Amino acid sequence: MRLFLLTLSFFISMAVYAEQDRYQFDNNEQAVRFEELTKELRCPKCQNQNIADSDAIVAKDLRDKVLTLVKDGKTKDEVIDYMIDRYGYFVHYDPPVTPATLVLWVLPVLIVIIGFGFIVIRQRKASVKQTWNSDDEAKLAKLIAQNKRQEQN
Amino acid sequence: MNRKILAIAPLLIFIFLCVFLYQGLFANPREIQTGRIGQNMPEFNLSDLMQDNKRWTNESLKGEVYLLNVWGTWCPTCLVELGYLTKLREQGVKIIGLYYVQGYDADFDGPFDMQALRTDVTDMLGRAGDPYQFNILDLHRTLSLDLGVSGAPETFLVDKTGKILLHHTGDLNPRVWRAKFAPVIQELN
Repeated sequence: MRLFLLTLSFFISMAVYAEQDRYQFDNNEQAVRFEELTKELRCPKCQNQNIADSDAIVAKDLRDKVLTLVKDGKTKDEVIDYMIDRYGYFVHYDPPVTPATLVLWVLPVLIVIIGFGFIVIRQRKASVKQTWNSDDEAKLAKLIAQNKRQEQN
Repeated sequence: MNRKILAIAPLLIFIFLCVFLYQGLFANPREIQTGRIGQNMPEFNLSDLMQDNKRWTNESLKGEVYLLNVWGTWCPTCLVELGYLTKLREQGVKIIGLYYVQGYDADFDGPFDMQALRTDVTDMLGRAGDPYQFNILDLHRTLSLDLGVSGAPETFLVDKTGKILLHHTGDLNPRVWRAKFAPVIQELN
């Protein structure tokens, strides 16, 4: 069992090495940018996987393209724009602000604010001071007298 | 009056939300992954699938309305689609194939066997029908990447000036043709 685990871990580490070895960078900054981009870009073939994790052929092509672009000295935004230009907004995990996304984000907040406003206004109306004068006093006395008579009957 | 509007406001918001979310429920998530609609065919210079010395460029395709169909012999859906595409060709639709090479990796599969690929293609088109005027060989999938292709089959509708009007992911069948392609082509004529 131990031997099995040992060989298994050996093979896994070899696989990891092979993956890192496949991509050569001129400097560390490029390597970091490549890593960030391949995690942020979504594989267009698979429904929800980034291009770093996917084995789809298009993900491999996109990784290679990101590598070339990064080596050409393109910034992160330039690479992302390049991909969006071809594969649409779907390809980036950070969605842009469009009317549709705006509705999704703003509407819940709006509903909560309006709901709270409604409660506060109602509360205020309810707590407005009641006035009391002799007219009301007389009306009350009359009502009490009426009520008593009804009870007696 | 004002109070009435306030009273039905929640109902209106609710209906709006229902419509909005209901749409999302039935939207095809693959439908939106297209960045190239309305733009011109990207520049390319690739060889013909059957003849090494014949080259195709974006300029040489201009002048006619055509379908660009991305396919490969390795792709089962493409095989299914060939019959209907051949029917379309018989109706006078110009279809150009973009051959999407999948098994090309020099480190892995050894040297690429062009002859074997051509035999494969001739076999499959002989059996299932040949809808293509000609096929462009996209050996490194560079044009496919520029077009935003994520696999095969995919089909583009391109107008006379080389502008991309439609991008369809998945197979082309009578239903898709009627709903998506026919109205746009009718408008062109």
